[in-house]
Amino acid sequence: MEKLFCVGKSVIRKDALIKAAGRARYAADYEFAGMLYAAAVRCPKPRIRILSISDSRAKKVPGYVTLVTYKDIKGPNKWPLVINDYPFLPETEARFQGETLALVVADTQKAAKTAARLVEIKYRELPFIDDPLKSMEKTAIKLYGEDNVFSKFVIKKGDAAKALKEAHTVVEEEFATNYQVHSYLETQGVIAVPETDGGLTVYSSTQCPFYVLDGVAAAAKLGYNKVKVIQTVTGGGFGGKEDVPALVAAHAAICALKAGKPVKLIYDRKEDFNSMSKRHPSWSKVAYAADKDGRITACVVKYVLDGGAYSTLSPIVLWRGTIHAAGPYKIENVFIETYAVATNKAPCGAFRGFGQPQICFAQESLIDELAAKLKMDPVDLRLKNILRPGDKTATGQMINDSCGLEELIKTVRERTNWDDRVQNAKYKMQNAGDIVTGIGFSAAYYGVSLGAKGRYLDRAGAYVNIYKDATVAVNVGNTEMGQGALTVLSQICAETLNAPYKNIKLEEVDTSKVSDSGPTVASRTTLMSGNAIIEAAAPLREKIFKTAFDMLILKGADAAKPMSASDGVFSIEGITVSFAEAVAECWSRRLKMGEQGWYAAPHTSYNMDDGQGDAYVIYSFSATAAEVEVDLKTGVVKALKIHAAYDVGKIINPTLAEGQAQGGILQGVSWALYENLVYKNGIMLNPNFTDYALATTADKPEYDITFIEKPYAGGPYKAKGLGEVPLIGVAAAVANAVKNAAGVRIKSVPLLPEKIWRELRNCLKVTPSAP
Amino acid sequence: MPELIIRPRTLKELWKILPTISAKRKYLAGGTDLVTAANAGFDACDAWVDISGLKELQSVKETKTSVLIGAGVRIAGLEAWGAVRRWLPVLTAAIPHFASPSLRNMATVGGNAANASPCADAVCALCAERAEVILELKGKKRRLPLSALFKGPKQTGIKKDELITAFEVPKWPHTGAYLKLGPRAYFGISKAAVALAIELDGDKIKSASVALASVAPVPLMAVKTAGCITGRILSPETARAAAALVKTEVSPITDARSDADYRREMCGVLLERALLGCEERLKAEG
Repeated sequence: MEKLFCVGKSVIRKDALIKAAGRARYAADYEFAGMLYAAAVRCPKPRIRILSISDSRAKKVPGYVTLVTYKDIKGPNKWPLVINDYPFLPETEARFQGETLALVVADTQKAAKTAARLVEIKYRELPFIDDPLKSMEKTAIKLYGEDNVFSKFVIKKGDAAKALKEAHTVVEEEFATNYQVHSYLETQGVIAVPETDGGLTVYSSTQCPFYVLDGVAAAAKLGYNKVKVIQTVTGGGFGGKEDVPALVAAHAAICALKAGKPVKLIYDRKEDFNSMSKRHPSWSKVAYAADKDGRITACVVKYVLDGGAYSTLSPIVLWRGTIHAAGPYKIENVFIETYAVATNKAPCGAFRGFGQPQICFAQESLIDELAAKLKMDPVDLRLKNILRPGDKTATGQMINDSCGLEELIKTVRERTNWDDRVQNAKYKMQNAGDIVTGIGFSAAYYGVSLGAKGRYLDRAGAYVNIYKDATVAVNVGNTEMGQGALTVLSQICAETLNAPYKNIKLEEVDTSKVSDSGPTVASRTTLMSGNAIIEAAAPLREKIFKTAFDMLILKGADAAKPMSASDGVFSIEGITVSFAEAVAECWSRRLKMGEQGWYAAPHTSYNMDDGQGDAYVIYSFSATAAEVEVDLKTGVVKALKIHAAYDVGKIINPTLAEGQAQGGILQGVSWALYENLVYKNGIMLNPNFTDYALATTADKPEYDITFIEKPYAGGPYKAKGLGEVPLIGVAAAVANAVKNAAGVRIKSVPLLPEKIWRELRNCLKVTPSAP
Repeated sequence: MPELIIRPRTLKELWKILPTISAKRKYLAGGTDLVTAANAGFDACDAWVDISGLKELQSVKETKTSVLIGAGVRIAGLEAWGAVRRWLPVLTAAIPHFASPSLRNMATVGGNAANASPCADAVCALCAERAEVILELKGKKRRLPLSALFKGPKQTGIKKDELITAFEVPKWPHTGAYLKLGPRAYFGISKAAVALAIELDGDKIKSASVALASVAPVPLMAVKTAGCITGRILSPETARAAAALVKTEVSPITDARSDADYRREMCGVLLERALLGCEERLKAEG
């Protein structure tokens, strides 16, 4: 293969300077002449019957413009997403504390906020449900359909019940995980600007401009060609700006249409906490069976996600969790049943890992328990059972050659000195006083992009336009949200065209410039937009390469010798033509220098009845080991070091990949140990960063990250997808390390000191000689 | 945030100007609590009286028998004063546990007391140092033990318009510790914190004070525990006894931050560790 000059290099981020210098323009930074401000009026209780909404007091606030309610929605009052049960604004019933009931528009943000507080809601409190398991009970009040279940899936393979009964060893446990809040630095924000033709331009902080387009066009009842959505620099997403920005933008849009002026709607942190999406809390019961040699013979899972008040993305989050619920193992007998359930709390949705981290925590914790029961080393047990090329997943899909899981596990085992640490007591002997140390392992796989359940959305477009001066503008439909898409996609474009990296500019995503490219989620952007760019750039490449060759021959080069192309220079035996010269010549030959590209994911299949099929086109893999220390008196855990190895295909930019891995690990540690959103009686108690603690740099573990690049032939320059992979296995590795260190199995995330302390106290009661 | 913020330059100017302002007013010092509350919509003032310009509140003074800390001194500024480092070991130990570097740059000692949170780190440390608080109203001064200022969560005995101007801490030859258990390594509100100040005579505890944060409605002086260890040898046995007793003096609650039984237990763990740390230091110093 040709030597790559740009792909695989740690070039500097395209957005490094503007962000470091504070010049990036976020939604809140935009100003328009005559701009007004909106503020939401929010539901004070978990479930209410709305009797009336009055602005008679709010009206008196200087600068007050208008009240906006569901009556101002032009189209059907259903936010189009998956199941479409979420009204843009509630008409008679509101279903969670913090739900937007109405909006107030005023000429300053302060006036809007003040007036919103003065809007009088007359309501009657209704009975509510805050526990998903209770919500599934027959006698529960009904929030959704006949059973409060938004969505359910099943995977049936072999005869799991029989295998369980006949097994040599069986383990079964219940696990739970709590919310995770995205905690993006930039809260939700949008500006809707009415245009003279009756249309709207929407400036939105979002991962998914085309979802915003869907939402705004529906609420405003406008043709898609009258709505233009422009993504502003987005200060973090992590899944939290997948679906919900469309709702926020739809609210701003109807405010702007009613007021006839641009309207800015910026969330404060509290309302962002109260009303925006979260990682689903989960409950699960998992069982594994094994024969006497440690071969896993069966896996049975019941997995329940707390969907909150409306379904939003729960069905597809649940689906991804379902597919991966048995873990990265070849198992003949599998029975998985999963449910996403309605409760009267904030609707949950996408969060890095998308339904996988919760069930991975459960099943990878249980794999360690299985190893303990079999008296096997947990890494050996994994190596005995993991998926290798040619093996079949729980859904019966055959794993192809792009699978480095075995190498990953062996790499991490070696880099941690695993065998020495676990089998040799000397490490334990070093423990002194109240502090003990331990190490834990986990393995995971991750289906890249949307898979069979989202296949109708799994396509992406690109437009590559080369100007006369040889600078290049690229339009794509996937977004930069901090993860590095601008840079990685620029590298792919530069490499394909043999253009200097500095010549490439990725434009802000504008829905009027490129066809609907689906969401920027599921670690799919490098793969999907990367391939679309390559497709757009291919005919341009052909023209430029041919023109450069002609020019070299004219300059006296030997046509029989091969032409090399690297870093914007074409050459034959020392005679050179630059990219700029070649492009200028193309233009003087009047060649077409702008091209569209389109990439649709290859076919996937899924049978809803038995959950069998080729669920995803390709998988990424991870192995993670956590070294922790546990304070036996306080229960406080510190993550000391995380060793991880990833197979995500070709690495386009090593520095950015390392950054994604470190960020994913720290977010995983944060979820595992610290983040604890508390609801009491349907009211969120800590919707702020004072009391919702996330890891800071002081809690950061040391990182030891290895990439093992198993090329994926279908990926751009053989890349797969990375963004979510590093987070998924962290909590399980940490929990396994806590067990190794302190001897207690914590079966719920976060592993709060209180829980560990309680478990340790219980152990002490049973065996006074324990640590 | 209110429309009106007034920034007097001297105390005299403050007392003169106050009657001209709406009665719905509050003092603004570092703003780290007040601005946050206002942003969250919890502040309904017409005016803030910004006291950060009052020179009288800005410095630390040393007398023969005490150290006077101006209420306007920023937390981050405390360490710069030799008298604080020399005479207030518990407060010095508490500084790194106080919020974050950026908040320490803004927050003031006086504000930490006026806000009257039971979790206030600087206040808890100052209570153990046996600080008195000095208050002033229209030129009239009064003083009381700092621990007596607090009536409940966010409630003090400060009268309308009365201003905390300083804290007076007696010079006594003590050592001590500030141990805090928060939600993460740093920058968090404590689940429990212990401030310990002890004066030693050889290896005997001649005098002791113990203050605790976040385990009672107010920053709590554990008087019985302090009494119990006074006169005893600084030893693991004493530390264990103190740990057992302090658990009976606190009255923690269960809330979004932690659980009551855990907090109670941690008071013992932290106090035992604080005493053992002092013992180790004593041994190391020979």
